[in-house]
Amino acid sequence: MSCEDPRHCITCGDDGVPMRVLAIDAERRLALCADERGVHLSVEIALVDAAPGDTLLVHAGTALTRLEATA
Amino acid sequence: MRFVDEFRDAELGRVLAGEIVAAVEPGRHYKLMEVCGGHTHSIYKYGVDDLLPENVELVHGPGCPVCVIPMGRVDDGIAIAHEPGVILTCFGDMMRVPGARGTLLEAKAAGADVRMVYSPLDALRIAKSEPGRQVVFFAIGFETTAPSTALTLMRAKAEHVANFSCVCNHVTIVPPLRALLESPDLRLDGFVGPGHVATVVGARPFQFIPADHGQPVVISGFEPVDILQSVLMILRQLRDGRHEVENQYKRVVPWEGNLRALEAMQEVFALRPHFEWRGLGFISQSGLRLADAYADFDAERRWQLPDVRVADPKACQCGEVLKGVIKPWECKVFGTACTPERPIGTCMVSSEGACAAYYNYGRFARDREVV
Repeated sequence: MSCEDPRHCITCGDDGVPMRVLAIDAERRLALCADERGVHLSVEIALVDAAPGDTLLVHAGTALTRLEATA
Repeated sequence: MRFVDEFRDAELGRVLAGEIVAAVEPGRHYKLMEVCGGHTHSIYKYGVDDLLPENVELVHGPGCPVCVIPMGRVDDGIAIAHEPGVILTCFGDMMRVPGARGTLLEAKAAGADVRMVYSPLDALRIAKSEPGRQVVFFAIGFETTAPSTALTLMRAKAEHVANFSCVCNHVTIVPPLRALLESPDLRLDGFVGPGHVATVVGARPFQFIPADHGQPVVISGFEPVDILQSVLMILRQLRDGRHEVENQYKRVVPWEGNLRALEAMQEVFALRPHFEWRGLGFISQSGLRLADAYADFDAERRWQLPDVRVADPKACQCGEVLKGVIKPWECKVFGTACTPERPIGTCMVSSEGACAAYYNYGRFARDREVV
């Protein structure tokens, strides 16, 4: 999730990124999250109910939903 | 990573490709539009189109947030960036989009303080750490990024961050789809629906497509297996004579969307009567502005903007690419005068732009060889 490679910048291309919650700061409505490569990011969680271990879909630093397994 | 790796499974992809072959009617040509630029990117990154039969054609839609920004709005951003004391913040791709007066990156090189941010919240953090400067966020995107901008403005208001404001270029996806469906240029058979926009707005806003136009819509995820499965679901609807909205991306998209996100957007934004889209022209009720309750944070009210409509360069055919009328490589300047390094059109800028996706994943060379 880096802008170093201009040909593939999912950060800036408005792409949803699944991220795993590592810790929650409920007072500031923020979660410390990691993407599939282990890059850490502080994510706004005002729009979702999140707990450590959850996987969130993150757009532009804001979690839009919590991913759930389907049949 | 769970929810990702299993949807990149090559064997599963091959099984789905076989089922797709079995679902098509020989002699019939299928034209399916993938609405979202994220799908376009995945299709070319993973070679999804190579797994489809020749008579199933994927057409790129208008869902790339950078690609649809008109040149005049870029010029407005550049004008603000040159105001004394301003720090203009935006997503990285936005910095390379050409307006009539160059790009924001060129404005930065000329001395303007333009900074890339990952999130509007980062822009708000800059505003709080630099109270003597005016920090402006140049907001772009569909309903995927609009909630993030809305939450940031709600925070700015609650925390009385007076030196923060926003140029709102947010757009909504349904009006351009209506415009495309009413256009005589294009005949489509179905839609691979925008999964992440649907995360926010839900599946209901897309029901006009089957109801009014008799075409299937499948809300789709972004991994290769997701896209193949969605194509199969559309083809099966067509085979069975059905047309409805189906949700392939159930692990992410709730049918009703995200109500908290919709409420935040409702509070912060209001619909503009019309908004200009690059290549598509003015579309009614397709753009968002800041609501009156947030007027103090509206950069368009804080500064006098040029607000000039600028025609696209004559050689650029982004409009036809965004409408799916031509393929990227059919544009006269594709890969010659217009490249990701020196883009003329917006579709060559963003990683989600159809032209950049074609160019970066080698489709350019292959298609030219075939021709």
